[in-house]
Amino acid sequence: MRVLGIETTCDETAAAVVETDGAGRPIIRSSEVLSQIAAHAAYGGVVPEIAARAHVEAVDHMVARALERAGVELSDIDGFAAAAGPGLIGGVMIGLTTAKALSLVTGKPLIAVNHLEGHALTPRLIEQVQFPYLLLLASGGHTQLIAVRGVGDYVRLGTTIDDAIGEAFDKVAKMLGLPYPGGPQVEREAKKGNPERFHLPRPMQGRPVADFSLSGLKTAVRQEAQKILPLRASDVSDLCASFQAAVVDVVADRTRVALRGFRDIAGHPTALVVAGGVAANMAIRRGLERLAAEAGVRLVAPPLALCTDNGAIIAWAGLERLRMGIQDDLTVAARPRWPLDASKDTRAGAKA
Amino acid sequence: MRVLAIDTALGACSACVAERGAPAAISTETMVMERGHAEALLPLLERVMAHAPGGFGAIDRVVVTVGPGSFTGLRIGISAARAIGLALKVPVVGVTSLSALLSPIVATAGDRVAVAAIDARHGQVFIQAVAPGGRVVVPARLATAREAARLLGSGNIMIAGSGAGLLAAEAWSVGVNATVAPDALFPDPLWVARLGALADPATALPKPYYLRAPDAKPQEGGALPRA
Ligand SMILES: Nc1ncnc2c1ncn2[C@@H]1O[C@H](COP(=O)(O)OP(=O)(O)OP(=O)(O)O)[C@@H](O)[C@H]1O
Repeated sequence: MRVLGIETTCDETAAAVVETDGAGRPIIRSSEVLSQIAAHAAYGGVVPEIAARAHVEAVDHMVARALERAGVELSDIDGFAAAAGPGLIGGVMIGLTTAKALSLVTGKPLIAVNHLEGHALTPRLIEQVQFPYLLLLASGGHTQLIAVRGVGDYVRLGTTIDDAIGEAFDKVAKMLGLPYPGGPQVEREAKKGNPERFHLPRPMQGRPVADFSLSGLKTAVRQEAQKILPLRASDVSDLCASFQAAVVDVVADRTRVALRGFRDIAGHPTALVVAGGVAANMAIRRGLERLAAEAGVRLVAPPLALCTDNGAIIAWAGLERLRMGIQDDLTVAARPRWPLDASKDTRAGAKA
Repeated sequence: MRVLAIDTALGACSACVAERGAPAAISTETMVMERGHAEALLPLLERVMAHAPGGFGAIDRVVVTVGPGSFTGLRIGISAARAIGLALKVPVVGVTSLSALLSPIVATAGDRVAVAAIDARHGQVFIQAVAPGGRVVVPARLATAREAARLLGSGNIMIAGSGAGLLAAEAWSVGVNATVAPDALFPDPLWVARLGALADPATALPKPYYLRAPDAKPQEGGALPRA
């Protein structure tokens, strides 16, 4: 089975071809990603209208390139998957419309994939991790802890009640005058700094529900910085190091709580999986490795190219659904908000 | 040459299949709508193609209105058209919504200036105008209704498009004899097909023609002072 996947929910225009071999093992035949980071850099964040303008000019080229790199024709594709949300609606509609049109012309199934499901099923794409497992999804737009029990069977154990972790990194970077996107810059600065110089809060620490809150931490960074203006280079490094250390503690604490909650609803997890752009942060990864060792589970961190937005994870989620007989019709609508766990209503600020 | 024409740029979701030069479409459908193009377009295309003998395999070219119009609407039409072109390996050409509105009234305008005016909100219109004989009076642009009326001069005019009422009122107020073309709020897909069949794929690219910059301002400041 071979599926083409399209991703246009944020600031990457991406397409990929993923297939399974005779034994059902996944193979990524191609994965083409066009990042718009440069187009948004001057704005200090993703501007929806600029993103939509870029997607519409690029998505068909990315599809053509993905087919070419995979060495297949459109007629060799068994299904067309697109991320139908959550995300910036203008972009989502472009990718979804493209997949619908390809499905209509070829007569092959359409699969409208939840972008978060793409992240949630990634460990099965890279090393066929078995259900159930605990997923920490941490990106610029999402921070969630999810019990993944099966395809389409997700229980959200925790989410952020305000900023996403990546968003907090980006905001801290911005206030300290570091370039966009800020996450990697903050990590670089943190390496040079003293993580104990500033005493920052660990919001939600010890709470029995695995939710996150990042905005207070961000405000605390600003307050500490304001006390010592103007900032010297070493102050910036120390602020970054202290901030990152706080995030590492918060992530470990919240994930520990989620692991406990996981056992009640799904038994022993086969793995702790971290996905999303924040998974690139080595300090956070090390914190999770310690936690995983302590809890007796394996930490799975997909390669960075599959942690950030790409078409392969959408193609894979589409393939997992299609082989269970799940598909969508041409009237399916893009969804700016779309919680993975249907039982959870979107809370203000939860961003999914 | 057989073309598939798509229009979702304005207040309708339409498609038709037509042979170049033919007086009528082989298959056509128009749904009047202000929003909902994204959900309506593909099922509509499925119906239109089901009524066209030979189906997608007989299509030689895809044509799409590229705007000006609703940013979301035109991106949906363009995404669909480009994907269909990719799948069929046929050229995709863009036609502006202004020329699609203008062409049918040029014939009926007689000795009047033919004007296409699309409501761009906030008292503005996207406008284009041609004199009898084809001379361009106003090239495609965004203007306030008042400016637009001034640009058109003092001769009689005939106006098509969703901004026709607004512009006509403005024209009358400065003493210009203005007629609003009937049934011309959005492009007729057959005219989109006709213009597209004549267009040169090398220059009539299927890219959005926004005529308006994105609403986004670079963020300045925010950073704390550095030593
Ligand atoms: N080394 C790092 N440390 C901390 N944060 C990082 C690091 N690298 C990237 N990030 C953050 O990850 C985010 C980008 O990740 P990603 O591309 O997965 O998310 P996104 O574009 O916000 O998409 P979505 O939320 O829709 O999945 C940014 O907020 C960025 O600052």
